[in-house]
Amino acid sequence: MGTTDKYDAIIAGAGHNGLTTACYLQKAGLKTLVVEKNDYVGGAAVSRELHKGWTYSNCSYVCSLLRQEIVRDLELPRFGLQVIPYEGNVTLAPGGEYFGAYGNHDAYRREMERFSVKDADAYDRFSRIIMRQCRFIRPFLLRTAPDPTSLKPRDLGELLFMIKRMWDLGRREIDETLRFWTMSIGDMLDEHFETDLIKAGTAGSGIIGTGLGVYSPGTAYVLLHHYMGDVDGSVGAWGFARGGMGAITRALAAAFTEAGGEIRCGSGVAEIRVSGGRATGVLLDNGDSFQAPVVASNMDVKRTMLKHVGREHLPAAFAKAVENFKIRGSSGKINIALDRLPTSDTLPDNGKLFCGDYSCTESLRHLEKAYDEWKDGYWSSQPYFDMLIPSKIDPTMAPPGKHMMTVFTQYAPYDLNVDGVRSPDNWNEETRAAFAKSIFDRLECVMPDIRDCVVHAEVRTPLDIEREVGLTEGNIFQGELTFDQLLFNRPVPGYAQYDTPVDGLYIVGSSSHPGGGVMAAPGANAAREILRRKGLGRRMPKLASRWEE
Amino acid sequence: MTYDAIVIGAGHNGLTAAATLARKGARVCVVEKNAKPGGMALSGTLDGVEMPRMAHLVYNLNPRVLSELGLSNVNLKPLKTVSLSPDGNHVVLDGNRATRVDGTPHPEATAYAARYDDLKRFSALLAPLAERSAPGVSFGGRKLDKFSELMAAARIGLKLKLLGRRNMREFLRILLSNVHDYTLDELSDGPIAGAMAADAVKGSWSGPRSPGSVLSLMYRMSGSGPAHVMGGIGKLTEALAEAAQSQAAEIRSGAGVARIFVAEDRAVGVLLDDGSELRARTVLSSIGALQSLKLAGVEHFDAETVTRLRNIRTKGTAAKINLVLGGVPTFSGLPSDLLGARIVIAPGSTYVEHAFNPAKYGEMSEAPVLEIVMPGQIEPGTTQPDRHGMSILFHYAPHDLEGGWTDAAHARLLDITLATLDAYAPGLRQLVVASEVLSPARIEAETGAPGGHWHHGEWSTDQMLTTRPASGLAHYRFAVRGLYLCGAATHPGGDVTGLPGRNAALQLLKDGACA
Repeated sequence: MGTTDKYDAIIAGAGHNGLTTACYLQKAGLKTLVVEKNDYVGGAAVSRELHKGWTYSNCSYVCSLLRQEIVRDLELPRFGLQVIPYEGNVTLAPGGEYFGAYGNHDAYRREMERFSVKDADAYDRFSRIIMRQCRFIRPFLLRTAPDPTSLKPRDLGELLFMIKRMWDLGRREIDETLRFWTMSIGDMLDEHFETDLIKAGTAGSGIIGTGLGVYSPGTAYVLLHHYMGDVDGSVGAWGFARGGMGAITRALAAAFTEAGGEIRCGSGVAEIRVSGGRATGVLLDNGDSFQAPVVASNMDVKRTMLKHVGREHLPAAFAKAVENFKIRGSSGKINIALDRLPTSDTLPDNGKLFCGDYSCTESLRHLEKAYDEWKDGYWSSQPYFDMLIPSKIDPTMAPPGKHMMTVFTQYAPYDLNVDGVRSPDNWNEETRAAFAKSIFDRLECVMPDIRDCVVHAEVRTPLDIEREVGLTEGNIFQGELTFDQLLFNRPVPGYAQYDTPVDGLYIVGSSSHPGGGVMAAPGANAAREILRRKGLGRRMPKLASRWEE
Repeated sequence: MTYDAIVIGAGHNGLTAAATLARKGARVCVVEKNAKPGGMALSGTLDGVEMPRMAHLVYNLNPRVLSELGLSNVNLKPLKTVSLSPDGNHVVLDGNRATRVDGTPHPEATAYAARYDDLKRFSALLAPLAERSAPGVSFGGRKLDKFSELMAAARIGLKLKLLGRRNMREFLRILLSNVHDYTLDELSDGPIAGAMAADAVKGSWSGPRSPGSVLSLMYRMSGSGPAHVMGGIGKLTEALAEAAQSQAAEIRSGAGVARIFVAEDRAVGVLLDDGSELRARTVLSSIGALQSLKLAGVEHFDAETVTRLRNIRTKGTAAKINLVLGGVPTFSGLPSDLLGARIVIAPGSTYVEHAFNPAKYGEMSEAPVLEIVMPGQIEPGTTQPDRHGMSILFHYAPHDLEGGWTDAAHARLLDITLATLDAYAPGLRQLVVASEVLSPARIEAETGAPGGHWHHGEWSTDQMLTTRPASGLAHYRFAVRGLYLCGAATHPGGDVTGLPGRNAALQLLKDGACA
C-alpha cells in the first residue's frame, strides 16, 4: 500500500505550466506537491541525454514566449536560466537558392533586395503591422479571459478592458486588427510580397503546431503567436535556453523546492479523486494517494477530464464539449547527434545564418500541399521543417567539435492512414522509419552529406510525443490555436478561467488561455485564479502591468 | 438633362438600388453593357429551352427588398434538398427535417435538426446586421448616426443575451469556426454533412475546413432557404426592372460605361462606350470595386485605398453548366417526384474539401461538388416533352486555371461533370442534346464580375462588414463625393439578396447626396 499524505494543493504534471502554478501556490503559503509520471521534471520542456555526451531538447527546442514578468518574478536566472538569443534564419530552396532573415534591419532589407526591391519596401510595412499586433495582444497574455455571458464586475471589467484596448486602436487599426486576426498567412504575405521564397520563408511560423494550411484563415494569428514573445525585451526574438529547454523547468523546479515545495517523480496520476463534486486528491499509478482540496492539472483538458476524472463526475454537455476539443497532432521531430557539421552547397558562408533556424521550402504552394497530405492522414511527403543546431551557440549541448541538431517537422498525423484505415496504431517501427526517411530525403536536398554525419537520431511521431509527454494526440499546444479555441473559448466556453465543473480542480496547462508555446502564462494565470478563489488573491504578485507598452 | 443618379450595371443589386431610389422620387438611369438586364440573375435559352443562365436559385433573398419595392409578383418556391449518396441512401433535407427518400426519418435526423436550429437561430441574430450599412465604430460622422449605430449594436447584444447562456456561448464559439468540424462533431461524414459543407462554401475560394465557413453558412441560411423563382430567376430581375421603370427610372441596355466623370472631387456622370455622355448628381456602381476605381480614374484615390482595393481577393471558383436533355434522367434510388428538388452531389464534408484541394493549385476538381436544378421538374408544364433543362453549379473550377480556360479546358469541365452525374444517374450522358459551359473566365467576360467570382470578392471574415470592400470604404461611399458602390463587393456581400443595392441606395439618400 502506498502512502496517504495531505497537502493544500497538488499539481498533476511537472511541465513548465504546472511548475509555475506550483511556485506561486507554494510562495503564497500553500503546501504544494507536484507529481510527475516521468522520472524527470519538465514535460515538453526538457533536456535529455539520449545519446551519451549529447543533450537533446527533445520536445520544445527554442524559447521566446516565456513571459519575462514570470522569469523576473520567480528569479529564474538565479536558478540557472540563461536564454541566449540567436539571430538569423535561413530558408533553403531545394534548387540551390536561399533566403536569409537577419535581426539587423538593414541586413534584412539588403537580403530582400537581392530578390526584389519592392519586397524590401514591403517588409517595413509588414513588420510594422506585426509589431503593432504584438503590442496589442501582449497585455492579454497575463490576464484571465472574461466570461462574456457573465455580469460579474470582474468579467465586465475584463471585457471593458478588451473593448477599450480595441477602441483605442482607432477605426483604421480596428479594421486592420479584425483583418489580421481572421486572415490566412498566405493571403497576407501575397498582399505584401512578390517573391515566392520570401513568402514561404516567412509563412512557417503561421503553421507550426497547427492543423491548418498556409491558406487557412486564422493562420496570420498563429504567426503572431510565434512573434509576440521576446528575449531580453527584444520582441519577436528567439533564443536557446543554455543547456537545453530543460533549463527552464529545472529553474522552475529549483525555485519551487527552494520555497519549500515537494516534487515526486516516477509515478503519474491514475485518478483524480472526486467526491460530491469536489476534487479531493489524486491516486498515483504506484498506489500512492495524496489528498488536497486543490488539484491543478498540467495535463491537457481532454486527458484530465476524460481519462483521470471520468465522465461520471461531469455534466454531459461539458464532457461532450471536452470530447469535441480539437487537439489534433500535426508535427513530428527528429533529434540528431552529429559527428560533424553537415556541409551544403546551398548554404551561404555566413556565420549569422548558421546560428538560427533553417527551413527547406520553396513556395506557399509547397507548404499548402504538405498540409493537404496531412488532412488525409499522411505525413507530408515533402515536409516543412524548422531545423536548428543549438550547439553552435551553446557548447553544452554536444561534446567538443560535435553538434546537436533538432529538426521540427510538419505535417505528421497522429492517426496515420495506412490503406485507408486511420489509427495511431499504424505507427510502428516500419512507418516510423519511413517517416524518418522522408525527412532525411528532404534534408539531403540541401545538405547532401547529412546522413554521413549522423551518430544517433531520435525519431518522434505525434504518437511518441503523446506517450512520452502525455500530450493528447501529440498536439504541441495542448489544443489547436483556432478562434473557437482561443480566449474565452479555451478550452471550453464557460470554463475558460482555469476552473472546471469539479470544484477545486483546475486546468493550468496550455489547454487554457493563452495557449501553447513555452509561455508559462497559463500556469501563472491559473495560480492567480486558484488563490483568488481561496480568498488569497492578495498573495499573488501582480504580473501584468495595466498598460504594458 | 441631369439625372439624380446613374446606376452602373443592371444586375439584381443595381436594379434594386435603382428601384429603391426611384421610389423615393429620384430620377434614375441604369446603364447596362449587355443587351438584356439581369447580370448573373438572368434567364437564357439553350437549344430553345429556357434556363437560368448563371445563378439558378435564391437562398437568402431579403424579404424586405421584395416588400419595400412591392414585388408581389415574384413568387418563390422553396425547394427540398436531395443530397445524393453513392450507395443510394440519399437524404432529403427540408428545413430542419432530414429524411430518406421514402419519407422515413434519417438516423441522424435529430442531430441534424439540432445543428440546423442552432444555425438558424444565430443567423436570425446576424440578419439585422446585413439589413443596414456595416456597423462600425464611426469616428466622426453625425452624432445621430453614431447613436443609431450604437443602438443597433446594443440591440444585437441584447438579443444575444436573450438567447440564454448556452446559446450565447455556442454562438461565440462557432462564429469563426469551420463547418467541417462543426458538422462532424455530431454527424457522420455523409451526405448531410456534405450538403451543409457545400452550402457553406458556395462560390468561395475556401473549403469546409477553412475557419469562418460556419459564418458563411449562417449568412446563406438567413433567408427562406433554397428557393426557385417561379418563371425562372430572370423573373426576379425583370420584376426589379419593372419596379424601377414604373417609377420613371430609365434602363439603357447595351450601354457599357467607359468612364465615370469626376469633377472637383465629385462624381458628375458617365461616358458610355458609344461616346455619349450622361450627367448625374450621383453615380452608383454595382460592378467590382477595383473595376469601379478604374472607371473613375485612379488619381481620385489615395495610395492606401488603391492598394487595399487591389488586394481584394476575387478568385472565382464556381462554374456553371447548362444542359438540355432529350429525356428525363433517372437517378439511382431517387423517386422521380424528387427531381424537382435541389439535388446536391456532396456525399461528405471530406469530399467537399477534396474537391477544393486542386483549386488551390489552379486545377479543376476531378470529383466536383455539383448543385443540380431542373426547372422543368419544379414547374411542370413549362417544359417540352423531349427537352429538359438541367442547370448545374460546379465547384471547384478556379479562375486562374493552369494553362488557361481554353476550349479544351471547357470540354474537360463538361466531361468531368457528365462523368460525375453518370455515376449517380447512369445513362445521363447519352441524353444530352445540348450543353453550355460557363467557366469563371467566361462569367467574367460576360458579366464583368471580377475573377468570375459570384460574390464579386471572397466572402471571408477579413472581407466583410467594415472591411468590405475595404477598410475605410465600408459605407458604400466610394472615395469621391457622389460616387457609391452598390454591388456584391459591398456589405453584406454576395448571393442574390438585393441588400447591397438597397442599403447603398438608402445610405445615399441618408447622405442627401442626390438632393
